[in-house]
Amino acid sequence: MEFAIFFFFAAIAVIFALVVVLHRNPVVGALSLVASFFALAVMYVLLEAPFLAALQIIVYAGAIMVLFLFVIMLLNLQHVAEPATRPVQQFLGYLTAAAFGIGLIYFVLKYAVFAALPKGPFLANARVLGIDIFQAYVFPFEMVSILLLAAIVGALVMSGRSMKGGRAAIGNEVPR
Amino acid sequence: MGHAFDATDITLSIVKIAIVLIMMLQITPIMVWVERRGSALIQDRPGPNRVGPLGLLQSFADALKFILKEDIIPSGAHKWLYTLAPALGLFPALTTIAVVPWGRGFLLHERLFLGRRLFAGGRWFEPVVADVSVGLLVVFALASLSVYGITTAGWASNNKYSLFGGIRASAQMISYELSLTLAAVSALLVAGSLRLTDVVWQQTGSFVLFNTIKLPAWNVFSPAMWLSFIIFTVSGFAETNRLPFDFAEAEAELVAGYHTEYSSMKFALFFMSEYMAMGTMSALITTLYLGGWDIPWYHEPPTFLGFILSALCFLAKVSFLMFVFVWVRWTIPRLKYDILMRIGWKIFLPLAFLNIVLVAAFIAAGWI
Amino acid sequence: MIPTHYFLVLSAILFTIGVLGVLTRKNGITIFMSIELMVNAVNLTFLAYARQFHQTHGLIFVFFIMAIAAAEAAVGLAIFISLFHHRDTIDVDEANLMHW
Repeated sequence: MEFAIFFFFAAIAVIFALVVVLHRNPVVGALSLVASFFALAVMYVLLEAPFLAALQIIVYAGAIMVLFLFVIMLLNLQHVAEPATRPVQQFLGYLTAAAFGIGLIYFVLKYAVFAALPKGPFLANARVLGIDIFQAYVFPFEMVSILLLAAIVGALVMSGRSMKGGRAAIGNEVPR
Repeated sequence: MGHAFDATDITLSIVKIAIVLIMMLQITPIMVWVERRGSALIQDRPGPNRVGPLGLLQSFADALKFILKEDIIPSGAHKWLYTLAPALGLFPALTTIAVVPWGRGFLLHERLFLGRRLFAGGRWFEPVVADVSVGLLVVFALASLSVYGITTAGWASNNKYSLFGGIRASAQMISYELSLTLAAVSALLVAGSLRLTDVVWQQTGSFVLFNTIKLPAWNVFSPAMWLSFIIFTVSGFAETNRLPFDFAEAEAELVAGYHTEYSSMKFALFFMSEYMAMGTMSALITTLYLGGWDIPWYHEPPTFLGFILSALCFLAKVSFLMFVFVWVRWTIPRLKYDILMRIGWKIFLPLAFLNIVLVAAFIAAGWI
Repeated sequence: MIPTHYFLVLSAILFTIGVLGVLTRKNGITIFMSIELMVNAVNLTFLAYARQFHQTHGLIFVFFIMAIAAAEAAVGLAIFISLFHHRDTIDVDEANLMHW
């Protein structure tokens, strides 16, 4: 039963990831990536981390990908034709990626096959994680909050309206 | 999960899913009737009264009309996404309710049925489809997915008004999701758990206020929680795109918003998901602040009777909140879009943060 | 219980697909989405090892990666918006002002 769920959602994750990479339309790509992330959230549940599965959907599907979708729609990118990649680059890209992937899987299967999982349930609920974050990891946690603040300021500066040569119509409606 | 997951558990799960699904599907026809008759009541006119007694069969006539209409796909639309969008919209509206408990759990006694022994040794029946340990987070995860149906519909229609309706609606939902989540954080702080059954259990019983009134221990009556209740309810109205926050389909400005180009059953699906989202939001407000299935001043026994009474009480609370949704829609005029965003970011978000600090201080001081 | 290396292989496949996207596409936003895919593949590895060794550190790393990915997405998309305003394209080959 668990294996059936794993293979079903693994197939979904891989197929939609391929759609992201191969499809011409970025809107379709963004929605496929959401589906792929959703399948990954199911993987997290199988890995006994339901808290992070929920966070995965809230942060990736609910926040980051919505931002992507907004930018694609507001810039009207689906009408901008993407120039074809040079055949040489295309060929080398596929070759390198395939070699990289085969190497990665080979070494995973050679060195990272564990005999058995440790006994007993893996306690990783919100309470345990919270205690860890606010005791052992409190300094990185505060650093992340500063980083997020810096990112907000950076995003505002980068996408401000005072840019010259803004596009007409909805191109100007950039979220600030 | 104390025992093995066997055929009885699967059957019970299917029964729960069937009950919840049937209830959710009933929401739309009933609410269409309530909305039309309710608006007529508030505006002092008869309302639909031709189909059936009191117009009760009006919803069926509407449904029949939707089925018989021609299903049009605009020539410039992105066909796949245009067809997919209504389903994307329906998915979060239909699934969120799975983690909400809708009654007092009770013990199924062992009994003989057609010569077979059922519920050997007694089996606990918890009336919630999925009692997951991160229930509240699942609610917000699914709520954050509801943006996609609207945005996709707006974009795939290849229509300026649709796109603007979709973008407006999703901007609004993202903004209010923050205050919605932060308001709910205080409820889980008080309960000390993300599991929604724990949140409800913490609200059972009663407390005595100023040595005079005996109030049920619902979160809404708690001195630290009423602010969170107000923020959550108002954000809930915005999150479900209901008036006074229905910019997604502001008729006067955007024709009909993201579903301008939709017709027939595809439009009906959007219609259904709007009402289901309303029902889910009412159920959430009930669970987090109005004590869930708790019957005030009454201790429900863990029997079948207690289950039925508490489920009816839950249903009554949800129905009342749904009526409030209708009531507000026909009473308060629509806000301006920039005012909505300003209220969301500059009033509700800081208030929600303040509320968390307040509740945390109350808990630290041991007052709750 | 599903063995850990199943997840590791899935993660490797997803990471490879992300690499493929970065290498063969020219649309900046698609490249960015491929990078997000690779980040998620790494998250999956973290969680798989966290369960294998019963350590919560892996989960906390994923938590931090998610927060940083959100910051990265905000800044990255702002850069693309800015690029689009200046050049009317998000083709990464066109952003060659610093190119020798």
